[in-house]
Amino acid sequence: MSTPAPPTLTVADYPLSTNRPELLRTPTGKPVTALTMDAVVSGELTAEDLRIAPETLELQAQLADASGRPQLAANFRRAAEMTAIPDAEVLSMYNALRPRASTAAQLTAMADRLETTYAAPVSAALVREAAEVYGRRRLLADDEAESPAQAATSPDAVTPALAADQTAADATTPGSPS
Amino acid sequence: MTAAAPRPAQQTRRSLRTETLEARPVNLDGFVEEWPEKGLVAMESDFDPQPSVRVEDGVITELDGRSRADFDFMDSFIADHAIDVATTEASMALPSVQIARMLIDPGVSRAEVIAVTRGLTPAKVLDVVKLMNVVEIMQGMQKMRARRTPANQAHSTSARDNPLQVAVDAAEGALRGFAELETTLGVVRYAPLVAIALQVGGQVGRGGVLTQCALEEATELELGMRGITAYAETISIYGTESVFVDGDDTPWSKTFLASAYASRGIKMRFTSGTGSEVQMGNAEGRSMLYLEIRCILMAKGAGVQGLQNGSISCIGVPGAVPGGIRAVAAENLVASMMDLECASGNDQSFSHSAMRRTARMLPQLLPGTDFVCSGYSAVPNSDNMFAGSNFDTDDYDDWNTIQRDLQVDGGLRHVREPEILAVRAKAARVLQALFEYLELPRITDDEVEAATYANSSNDYPFRDVLADLTGAQQVMDRGVTGLDLVRGLEATGFHDVAENLLTVLRQRVSGDLLQTAAVLTADFTPLSAINDANDYAGPGTGYRLQGERWEELKKLRHVTSATDPETEVD
Repeated sequence: MSTPAPPTLTVADYPLSTNRPELLRTPTGKPVTALTMDAVVSGELTAEDLRIAPETLELQAQLADASGRPQLAANFRRAAEMTAIPDAEVLSMYNALRPRASTAAQLTAMADRLETTYAAPVSAALVREAAEVYGRRRLLADDEAESPAQAATSPDAVTPALAADQTAADATTPGSPS
Repeated sequence: MTAAAPRPAQQTRRSLRTETLEARPVNLDGFVEEWPEKGLVAMESDFDPQPSVRVEDGVITELDGRSRADFDFMDSFIADHAIDVATTEASMALPSVQIARMLIDPGVSRAEVIAVTRGLTPAKVLDVVKLMNVVEIMQGMQKMRARRTPANQAHSTSARDNPLQVAVDAAEGALRGFAELETTLGVVRYAPLVAIALQVGGQVGRGGVLTQCALEEATELELGMRGITAYAETISIYGTESVFVDGDDTPWSKTFLASAYASRGIKMRFTSGTGSEVQMGNAEGRSMLYLEIRCILMAKGAGVQGLQNGSISCIGVPGAVPGGIRAVAAENLVASMMDLECASGNDQSFSHSAMRRTARMLPQLLPGTDFVCSGYSAVPNSDNMFAGSNFDTDDYDDWNTIQRDLQVDGGLRHVREPEILAVRAKAARVLQALFEYLELPRITDDEVEAATYANSSNDYPFRDVLADLTGAQQVMDRGVTGLDLVRGLEATGFHDVAENLLTVLRQRVSGDLLQTAAVLTADFTPLSAINDANDYAGPGTGYRLQGERWEELKKLRHVTSATDPETEVD
């Protein structure tokens, strides 16, 4: 997150992969043109090289703004912040936001961590807003029952997999043979 | 919904015609009376709220008759994230009939409609679409769908979770034209192998096809992060607070998840649909469509680019009530008029009647949607692990013929058998080589041969399930990524497939597929609502099935030659 202010884009710059490839870099600083088969075979590239950089998400946010989609742009800006968070912690933060998974204090701590450790103020604001609404709608974990909120701190606390197109609804789907 | 009611004992003689009608498949379907108090009503209910909005100091303080202090979390989220506070009072002041007319008036552009809809409350949106009959809903969809060029999505699954079947049916599906392929599992632990098979098979059929594996949210995200899948859509949302909580999520957790996907460069859409709330027992006395409109606005507020809706796995519920399929068409339209990508259902099977199955999809096929089916079964329905689909492989020729009859583009095409056999054989050999490279359980030459000519999972030799599950676990333990798949494909001599997959993975770095309604064309150009914006403005404009594509769709399995009636054209 160190480069100078990116250029302001218009919808004519889309798709960036064909119209503005010179603007695209990997999080490791490689130009997108370096992502070649030779580089894959030689072992030069790692999975980290195939991730999106926060600067690119900002470019896509500009394109979303330019095409009249402010909510999509806001999503990309939260995403830009979240590129810095390791996979396991992203998953555990998501789990901590589930209903009655965290106390107010735990959500506040998560928002603080987003803000201070990851410089993610927009995402932190979303978590603070959740804490406020959960408090009003009785969706916080009880302060005494600390255990469900382990998800907030344990990166391994991933819920069991369940296959369904619409998970909860499928459990009660009436039979509909064809 | 299955037909349940035992009929009264036959006392009197019945007509032979009644007996014939009784035996028709449609009478195996279930139909129920409306029960508005419980939300068992499609879209016309006295129990839905009246539209209203109030803004004070830049904040919405009243929404559809409810004041801010009484907002449930759906109201709060929609008021604070979905509705444009600056324009809502002006938009809400427009008569509903005027907005409904704007939707079907070719003289009013899509952008002009969206400038109004961004300020509407859920009850107002309902009030607008309630004025529209199905033809008007289709007319609206033709203009409001986000992407100019329609597309289609397939399911590729296996009743035995056989990765080889998933790979070859994905390859055939991609060749036939599906832009996205989706899989899921019977035994969830099989997921890594099946997701790999789908990704690789898809790239054999047609480079640039996007794949996903529907699983519980956190697991689905993990596979995406590893680059084994390319997009996700099993991110369910619901229209009442109580059902949303029963689904163990909230609008904030789902919004966080949406950003998590984008932060890894992964395309994602939410899933919702009419009937889910009443089916899960807490519709709070609202109509199915009112609750679905709340879902659509929640999705918009989250900033997710699109939505899979059209009842989906709850289709039996709206399908059972009067006007239910009209409501399903309306929910697709609402997603599109909220400027979201719409993968428009025609997914889980709902009827025993072939006529009813066809009628159900016309409101999406005729105007075209971003994905006409959000899951056409590219395997026989007996292998469909999403509880079947409204259409399956048996229907391929019918679908192609309907496209040709009506000159509409439903995203598929007829492909000659030699080409199909070639890609199936190749997909099987590619997966065989890749499994060997990754030291996964062997795929035998007999299996490759069977896969080439198979129809269903019954046509394949049995696999050693325990060995496969151990292999699947190793994929996770060893941290196999999409890049490892590329390396394996290149090392085993399948350079073209390796290049295809690498190009799909490279798209993540650019983020182009994150924009609304994005797909990848066969030459790997991202096509979205930005560079392929729907420009319909009446007859002669917008997407037209013509030129090379129309020539392609004129081809069927049997078409008699004009010059020599004794022969058929290829």
